[in-house]
Amino acid sequence: MMKSKKWNIILALLLMVTFTVQAQITGKPNFGKIAIIDATIHTITEGTIQHGVITLDGEKIEYVGTDRSKVGGGYTVIDATGKHVFPGFMDSGTSLGLVEVNAVPVTVDNREVGNMNPNMLAFTAFNPHSASIPVTRVSGVTHVITAPQGGLMSGQAALMDLWGYSPDSMAIDATAGMVLNWPSVQSRGWGPRNPEQAEKRYKEAVRNLDKWLDNARFYEQMMNEFEADPIGKTKPEKNQQLQAMRALVQGETPLIIAVSSEKDILNAIEWSTHEENSSLNIVFAGVEEGWRVSEKIAEAGIPCLVSTLYTPVRSYDHIHRPYENPAALMKAGVKVAIMTREVENVRNLPFNAGYAAAYGMGAEEAVKAVTINPAEIFGVSDRLGSLEIGKQANLFISSGDPFEPLSQIEQVFIKGYQIPMDSRHTQLFEEFLDRDATQE
Amino acid sequence: MKNTLTTLLIIAVFSVGTIAQEKGSVLIQNATLMTITDGIIENGDVLIVDGIISAIGADLSGPSGVSVVDGTGKYVMPGIIDAHSHLNTVSTNEARNPVTAEVTMEESINPNSVSIYRALAGGVTSIHLMHGSANVIGGQGETLKLRYGVTQDEMRFADAKRTIKFALGENPTRVHGQGNGIQPRTRMGVEQIIRSHFDEALDYRIKREAYFASKEAYEVDRRGRTAPPIPVAKNLRYDVLNDIIDGEILVHCHSYRADEILMLMRVFNDYGIKNYTFQHANEAFKVAPEIAKNGAYTSVFADWWAYKFEVYYSTAYNATILNENGVTNSINSDSNELIRHLNHEAAKTVRYGETSESDALKMITINPAKQLGIDEMVGSLEIGKQGDVAIWSGHPLSIYSKVEHTYVDGKKYFDLYMDPVDMRIAVDSEDSYAEAVFNTFIQGREEDSCMSDVFELIEQ
Amino acid sequence: MNIKTTFVDMASFLVMLLAWQQMPSMAQEVPAHAITNVTIQMADGATLENADIVWRNGVIEQIGVNESIPFDAFIIDGGDSLHVYPGLIDGMATWGSPETPRDLPRLENPGKPPYDRAGAQPQRVPGHYLNEDKAFEAAMKAGFTLVALGLDGQMLPGHIQPFNLSAPKLTQAHIFANPLALQGSFETAPGGWGSGAYPSTQMGVMAYFRQLMYDATALQEHMMYFEKHSEMTQPEQNDVLEALFPLINKEYPLYFEVDSKEEIERLFRLQDEFGFDVVLVSAKEASALSNELKARNIAVLASLDVTEMPDWLEKENKEAKKDDGERSESSEEGDSEDAESEELTEEELMFRSKQKEAWEKEINNLSALLEAGIPTGFTSAGLSPKELIQKVNLVTENSTLTKDDIVGLMTVHNANILGISNRVGTIKEGNSAHLILTDGPLFEKGTNIHIQVSQGVINDFMED
Repeated sequence: MMKSKKWNIILALLLMVTFTVQAQITGKPNFGKIAIIDATIHTITEGTIQHGVITLDGEKIEYVGTDRSKVGGGYTVIDATGKHVFPGFMDSGTSLGLVEVNAVPVTVDNREVGNMNPNMLAFTAFNPHSASIPVTRVSGVTHVITAPQGGLMSGQAALMDLWGYSPDSMAIDATAGMVLNWPSVQSRGWGPRNPEQAEKRYKEAVRNLDKWLDNARFYEQMMNEFEADPIGKTKPEKNQQLQAMRALVQGETPLIIAVSSEKDILNAIEWSTHEENSSLNIVFAGVEEGWRVSEKIAEAGIPCLVSTLYTPVRSYDHIHRPYENPAALMKAGVKVAIMTREVENVRNLPFNAGYAAAYGMGAEEAVKAVTINPAEIFGVSDRLGSLEIGKQANLFISSGDPFEPLSQIEQVFIKGYQIPMDSRHTQLFEEFLDRDATQE
Repeated sequence: MKNTLTTLLIIAVFSVGTIAQEKGSVLIQNATLMTITDGIIENGDVLIVDGIISAIGADLSGPSGVSVVDGTGKYVMPGIIDAHSHLNTVSTNEARNPVTAEVTMEESINPNSVSIYRALAGGVTSIHLMHGSANVIGGQGETLKLRYGVTQDEMRFADAKRTIKFALGENPTRVHGQGNGIQPRTRMGVEQIIRSHFDEALDYRIKREAYFASKEAYEVDRRGRTAPPIPVAKNLRYDVLNDIIDGEILVHCHSYRADEILMLMRVFNDYGIKNYTFQHANEAFKVAPEIAKNGAYTSVFADWWAYKFEVYYSTAYNATILNENGVTNSINSDSNELIRHLNHEAAKTVRYGETSESDALKMITINPAKQLGIDEMVGSLEIGKQGDVAIWSGHPLSIYSKVEHTYVDGKKYFDLYMDPVDMRIAVDSEDSYAEAVFNTFIQGREEDSCMSDVFELIEQ
Repeated sequence: MNIKTTFVDMASFLVMLLAWQQMPSMAQEVPAHAITNVTIQMADGATLENADIVWRNGVIEQIGVNESIPFDAFIIDGGDSLHVYPGLIDGMATWGSPETPRDLPRLENPGKPPYDRAGAQPQRVPGHYLNEDKAFEAAMKAGFTLVALGLDGQMLPGHIQPFNLSAPKLTQAHIFANPLALQGSFETAPGGWGSGAYPSTQMGVMAYFRQLMYDATALQEHMMYFEKHSEMTQPEQNDVLEALFPLINKEYPLYFEVDSKEEIERLFRLQDEFGFDVVLVSAKEASALSNELKARNIAVLASLDVTEMPDWLEKENKEAKKDDGERSESSEEGDSEDAESEELTEEELMFRSKQKEAWEKEINNLSALLEAGIPTGFTSAGLSPKELIQKVNLVTENSTLTKDDIVGLMTVHNANILGISNRVGTIKEGNSAHLILTDGPLFEKGTNIHIQVSQGVINDFMED
């Protein structure tokens, strides 16, 4: 049935590959001492190494450099001649693991009822067995921020790696950020039609937010005092929501503010400079109109999580604004991380970054925006985001530029595990490419 | 003052684009030509005269006065064709009846949508403007050329085949069964809706022809002894269904699951219907041999899946499997966002399954052209074909490449280097500059865009 | 006799007159009326000064200067300074029409709705639906003496029929003439959410309209056969389809409410298929298709409901005026003119220039139609008389259209389009007495309408 001779060869090769891949599934991922040799190693923080060597010892990177002698006996050696090694990419905004099939409401766990849900944890609903996780990780995306949505305060996002069998083993940070949907003052779109009404609604929402934060600060202080010396004091009643905001008001947990339009961004900046909010660790997400006020965002020192693959926000916007937004922010001095806001297609993260690279950011900075920048923004750059000795061994080998769809992501490692390069998508491919073939 | 001048200049340039349907001439020299049907030509020239590709080769010269573009280091490929789009509809779904063959997107074209320009900037020159997927048999489609600035009639692709939308599975059963409590509520019902309407249409044809015959007999009988017929009114819906059976209309069927794809092929074989395309067809890969055997086409997403249950067991390798099984497949957008980078969507077929680069390019050019019945006119760089081409800064499958110029009929509609802000044509004089932020920009796929207009009809 | 005393006298007279109106049999007790000593706006645009006008039984009997007034005419003295205009005509309004019911029941099969639920009720005539509506009196006070009434509805709301605006509460007795057209629009089937029906889109409306025309064609043919062959199956009674026969037979024009250029083009398609005459109603973008309208001999009843000038443009114009004032004094070329625009981004400049262009197009629609020679009249299209004055000013200040032009649209043009110019639209002997008496040019500030005469019936609005 199958057509060309060339195809027969490919098929034969494929069957061999299939066999080995299946062995990996039924077997276990490789783990322990692994060496990748003769690769172009993109360390991100310490330059690019030609014909480099990188060795893994368990979960950690043991060595990065050019010294072959570091690869002693007992190493599984992977020859990566002509290939590239990058740190695993991190997507700074997804709902991966929280939503399985968007149109089937019972599988959607990213949107709790209620307006103020600081105690809702994405970590809790994260399904480590979601079919989307293997699909994502084989593309070189090894970490995601997975976030709840909806309401004013949606809940807390988690920073997860994508290899494991429990949220506990996969969480880098179970409370990586508090998600706040900035109340919009825009009178267009789905909101109120006239500007006065919109303004009024906006002010009410901010008053409500301020009240919550005041209460949280009071609660934090009160609980601190009680916890420091409970003797003789009546134990205050526990408030789940305020309890969940303690790390936020301390500035430990970042406040991820989802905000889009120019006016709203300016309002959010203004709010973030209020004296009482100075302890907050604020990050903006979305920021589609960031390019209009990039200087002001930079001045406020607020990092931004942005994507590129969306249509222009205003009907009269220049067509390339979405692609150019990350570069505009970066050039103004804003620390930029790139996200997809996806669930099942988080694998498109490199392409979001690729568009940012092509439209002003440059490949080098765009790679940072999916590696070291998000690691820094979420306070985990001691463990993630670059190929450095002692950091977690999260990396992948690609045949070429990972932003290019024409390149192949050949092998992914997550905290040292050489993971099976397999997902529902590849399994269906293997089964159905030559559906009616029989065993030889 | 400088700003004002720029603005005026831009308006002057732009207003050229608003002159009604014109054909242009251009000579592109010394570029890499992705001909699609005849390999890659390095250092080649393309000459378009009055909207038609009149020469391809080296060292060509054009008629005097023809504008010359230096293509050194650039790539020229035929304009991208999107076989599934709702880019500029007035409304998309006439969703109040499971069968609406009588309506046509020809009467739902908005020629002023700025999304047309955005698509041109992605190298797209033609789209298949489709009815939505609320109905088992939806409305007729219309193939358009993206001549931004012309009238709705002038946007229509002359001599393109007539098309119609069918839809199986979740959408029609949800809208009509779940929403209104009428058939179809199930995939069983979907099949019977199609069969019963074809049968009714065939019966109507017999009755209508009988009426014409007895009317003629009545009119020629001067003695008045023949009884007059009871007139049978012309029925627009049945006429269209008969045109489908007669092969005058190409069916493009929204479908996902393998079983429903097989069902439609059985039904179509029973009624002798050929030359149809399965749209989306996320599970087409499971029945690729059957699709190939029936000579049916597929038009799929590069990687969209899991947004609804019927696409949960699907794969981004769909296109590659179909292609390797000999199915003529295209990659479509069904999205005003994706349509801006369909080249990139096609490139994903290389990543997922290592489809050859040349086949990947076919999936956004000649293959969709075949599915729309316009492959004699567009879809490749061939002498005699229409001058719908785009010049790319690099290899069109590279993420770093940009469209520099897009030509339709040899006339330039997009120029990266003369690309102003605000390319709207339709301007509402009540709009406010400051308030003109639409929070409804599109990202990713949370639902079918081909279900637009429908959500409000469904009581959840 | 000065004007004031005239009107005091008249007021007491009018009390009687109003009483008569309620008892039509007594109306003849004043056999004729005359207004004397006024300036009359004649049909040819000329004015006749110090003239008199006499009408009897609703018909103008005599116009002239220094002619003798019949002995049996009750005389209203215009006292030199008053003007008589032809009564204004509203080319189409839906006053008095019942509203579309709000809480429509859910249909069992929305794909096959009854005609009314699809929006097709061409059989309706406005005379059967004359609800009380304050708009009637407001229009009378604004100088309207005649209105072509339609009905609120969707695709085919009913017939258009002209009525005399001679009383604030209209009845069948105020019918001016037989229905003269069918009314149409691209409006989709009524209802929302659960209660809507097919057709729910414009393309659906077009398809449904066609199918109605095909069904009506077949029914008419069946009826013709049945007339000759009573032995054959009897055709169904179907008042909806029967109401479309005049359209099929091209005996009636279709008055079609439509604004956008694209929608007008879609209407052309239907016209091409069925060949009926069309009058556009509202037609805010019609001038973009002037050539085509001319070729098709399509008249327009235009709306004056134009958008207010954008704020920034109004401000800019004001400043330009101020600048002009300063300049003429100092005669200096100021660089200040771009002070503000320099701060604007290229994007906002572009936005403004496009908005200005769009707004100017809108405001010039009417004048462009007239310049192109398109028969153009006026429809209030929902504008209240108060808004109307404001819009008249907006349009006349910002386009070449004059207030006289607008009076023309509302009188002779409308009469021509409605096909009733043999009776109204101009002041001449033999025409119906549709007049207004004003103390100045119409639509000018300070001009009051003193008396409105519709079909010979006098209404005085200066009493209060």
